[in-house]
Amino acid sequence: MKRSILTALGLATGLAMPAAAEDIKVGLLLPFSGVYASLGNEIEAGFALGLEQFGGETDATFDIVNEDTEVKPPVALGKAKKLILQDKVDVMVGVVSSGVLGAVRDMVHGAGVPLIVANAGNDGATGESCSPFITRMSFSNGQVNRPMGQWMYDQGIRKIYTLAPDYAAGRQMIEGFAATFTAAGGEIVGQDFTPFQKTQDFGPYLTQAKSSGADAVYVFYAGGEAISFVKQYDSFGLKAELPLYGSGFLTSPLYVNAEGPAAEGVITALHYVPTIDSPANAAFVEAFKAKTDRMPSEFAVQGYDAARALIEATKAGATDRASLANALRQVSFEGPRGQLSIDPATNNIVQPIYVYETVAGEGGLTQKVLAQLPAEADPVNGCEMAAPVSN
Amino acid sequence: MFRHTPLRYATLVLLASVALFRVFTAEYFGLEILTEIFILAVLVLALDMVAGFGGMVSLCHGALMGVGAYAYVMLSTIAGIAPPVAMAGAIAVTGVAAWVIGAICARSHGIYFIMATLAFGQMAYSYVFEAPIFGGDDGLGGISRLDLSFVGIDLNDSRSFAFFCLAILAAVYGTAVLILRSGLGRSLSGVMHNEQRMRALGLTVWRVKADVFGLSGMIAGLAGVLAAQHIMYISPGLLSWTVSGEALVVVILGGVGTLIGPLVGAVAFVMLKHELSAVTTYWHLVVGCILIAVVMSRANGIFGWLEDRWGARIDRRAADATRNQKTEEVASDA
Amino acid sequence: MTIDLGFWTLQTLNALQLSMLLFLLSVGLTVIFGLMHFVNLAHGALYALGAYFAASLAAVGGYWMGFFLAPVAVAGVGVLLYTGLIQRMRKSGPMAQVLVTFGLIFALLDLTRIFWGDLALAIEVPGILSGRLAFLGVEYPTYRLFIIVLGTAILAALSLVLSRTQIGAMIRAGVDNDAMAACLGINVERLFFIVFCVGCALAGLAGAVAAPLLSVTPEMGLQILIPTLIVIVIGGLGSLKGAIAGSLIYGFVQTFGAVLAPQLASVLIYALLAAVLVIKPVGLFPAKG
Repeated sequence: MKRSILTALGLATGLAMPAAAEDIKVGLLLPFSGVYASLGNEIEAGFALGLEQFGGETDATFDIVNEDTEVKPPVALGKAKKLILQDKVDVMVGVVSSGVLGAVRDMVHGAGVPLIVANAGNDGATGESCSPFITRMSFSNGQVNRPMGQWMYDQGIRKIYTLAPDYAAGRQMIEGFAATFTAAGGEIVGQDFTPFQKTQDFGPYLTQAKSSGADAVYVFYAGGEAISFVKQYDSFGLKAELPLYGSGFLTSPLYVNAEGPAAEGVITALHYVPTIDSPANAAFVEAFKAKTDRMPSEFAVQGYDAARALIEATKAGATDRASLANALRQVSFEGPRGQLSIDPATNNIVQPIYVYETVAGEGGLTQKVLAQLPAEADPVNGCEMAAPVSN
Repeated sequence: MFRHTPLRYATLVLLASVALFRVFTAEYFGLEILTEIFILAVLVLALDMVAGFGGMVSLCHGALMGVGAYAYVMLSTIAGIAPPVAMAGAIAVTGVAAWVIGAICARSHGIYFIMATLAFGQMAYSYVFEAPIFGGDDGLGGISRLDLSFVGIDLNDSRSFAFFCLAILAAVYGTAVLILRSGLGRSLSGVMHNEQRMRALGLTVWRVKADVFGLSGMIAGLAGVLAAQHIMYISPGLLSWTVSGEALVVVILGGVGTLIGPLVGAVAFVMLKHELSAVTTYWHLVVGCILIAVVMSRANGIFGWLEDRWGARIDRRAADATRNQKTEEVASDA
Repeated sequence: MTIDLGFWTLQTLNALQLSMLLFLLSVGLTVIFGLMHFVNLAHGALYALGAYFAASLAAVGGYWMGFFLAPVAVAGVGVLLYTGLIQRMRKSGPMAQVLVTFGLIFALLDLTRIFWGDLALAIEVPGILSGRLAFLGVEYPTYRLFIIVLGTAILAALSLVLSRTQIGAMIRAGVDNDAMAACLGINVERLFFIVFCVGCALAGLAGAVAAPLLSVTPEMGLQILIPTLIVIVIGGLGSLKGAIAGSLIYGFVQTFGAVLAPQLASVLIYALLAAVLVIKPVGLFPAKG
């Protein structure tokens, strides 16, 4: 498979002109239309801000080509081929959905073009199908949820009912949490996976959760489904007797204000919240608000840190596809999220996880950080690749 | 029944020569677009067979294509069957599925037929989306292309693969013409124009419909196999009803019931989509407006409009020419 | 898991609530089809428009302003569509109609994105409808009860209008045989126009009612379209009885399917639809036998 793609691309990569030493051509592969258009725009805004703020630190200049994936894997693959073969980009940044990442993975790996993943959290992408050319600056599904198992057990919660949409990310998020929660001694008393993007009414599932005898409910939902879920959870009056916990995407700053008071008191875990108390984050939040007039979300910071990682790599002397891929695997810096580094064994980011409660603040809902859980590298999960060459 | 008029021949020759020329000259992304056009053209030929010649407006052809793609991947990657056999198997599986759908829906007409096919398409979509064996939302990768190295062709090369798809498209076109000209095809157009009369003549109407739908499904399955080999990755999105809807749009845009029209439509649609999406992310708006304008114009799509405009004139001239020729022959005989 | 009577009461209410929401949507679509033989796939897009109008109006003048004015605004869009497109498409075949309204879906989806952006919007439930009511031994969200009551009221009003008033008689005559109705001096064109606008207003109302329950996103129209189509095809096109029967079947199969057979939940309804089409190709209660 790998070899066949290499031969298919042999001509292309062979002829690709090495870019002028200091000019890096970047392909942004993001959804600008379709269900995840708002995430694509948010990541792009973060990326642009990152280049603007840190671009002065390096001699390299960046030339950006935007391509819309439409959240459709075949379209995304076509666009990735265009970026690699025709535009001859040095590095690609983006990819929101795991489906798209799965589609472009072999192409990127075969052509040897570094890809900085700015969202897609599929565990497998930095596990069994990892690649030295794919570096993830966002999160992995398991990583965000795993620390919550022990933390919730420590809060005295023993019985949990879980809910998530029925697709790979939903299952990985819940598995990550359930594994650590049961290892700590807790019990999962019931699980439901709702049809993905087809469930408008969560009433039947909520009624089941209520009668399950659980102490709390742990869920993963994102986007429109998250808004519907949180509002319906509140309307059934479950929040008081059955506290709602979950993966932090449930109450992302991007759409938490659409959830309104229903989101108050929901406790979730995520790799970034805009209220982290650090100078790096304060500077980022201020700059982002000045540009877009809203609070940055985790998606914005993923774009921002992707730009930062790219700049750090060029500062280490990387100029072309191979050297960029190698340098990206070794970046490490202090960003809005705290101290970040890349685990060379999987190419996944290592970052702290924040437990936060959504509370009412002045001018809308805000996030109260309850705990900062230490950064942990993901298990290797069958990832086999050579270590990077040190700079 | 389907007939080749001089205009149709001319368009066909023009399309074929441009396609050949582009296959030899296009750059990498151009080849991607060409291959996309060829595969879409195979799918819309299948759809035009049932919609244009049998009045069966199907909203499940996208799903049938997806069934073909998934069947191919299941057979070749998971079951480890050799690609050529897997291809044949996938086509057969899709054909059987389509035959069953056609047989069940044969009693429905008009909007009910559309809705019934939509229901079956969505059923397949939901199933594939949720069954873990199909990889769910994340899809399946690691698909291998057909190995033609024994005749010295490496299909992993984009140009060879585009050429391969063009050759298959040509073969499919020939097959579609043969089917429509056969007894079955003639019965089908009889059914479309007057179902009662055909029944009175002793024809088993539902069998005719189901048979043609099955054959059309086999072609859609072939399109799916090609799509899987082209992208080397499949996801449930292939089966979504919007894919079927887009295929129908292409058929209408080109000219339903002309076989050549849908080919023109496929070229126009893919080019339009790529040109527009490069300019704006709101390209759906433009495509939507063009679609409304085409349907409102009451012309039978782009090619139908051409035929109305010039076809009659060319036909007349051709008829005159043959008549003159005949009179000359008669004269010389005398 | 403790499953008692209260559990089943709650699930029945959930099913009823979903059914009524679908009823509001499907009744407009089905009556338009019954009378005009026109297939409007863009009905879902009108529902999304209703939700967006309601969200914008609610931001200005509170929930009730959105509730009452959004249907009017969507009916206004209906007037534009009718005079600009639908009137000329009436005599075309189902395929042309499907295609024109498919084009409308494309266009309206992008228009909502241009005007309202990609981010989800939301409306708060008004104070009087927030909270829960206790009855039949269970506590149930007031807003959901409101949807059930509203749906029932609309159903009662429509069946009263259709069976007891002159315009109802005219509509029934038109559904039965529009040419004959025209011969009898009924202004069929005007009747079509009124029915189309009322259908659009009901779609807008459904959007406004659904908005506080769900989130308002550009894709909501596409997501609701397939369930609505299933409802009217199961029920039979063109009849009020079909719309309510189809809605109830869909609501109960979906809700209890999710409880009793979660693995099959999403395939179940399509299988049911296929079964209905095999046994009765024109649905359970078609307008014309």
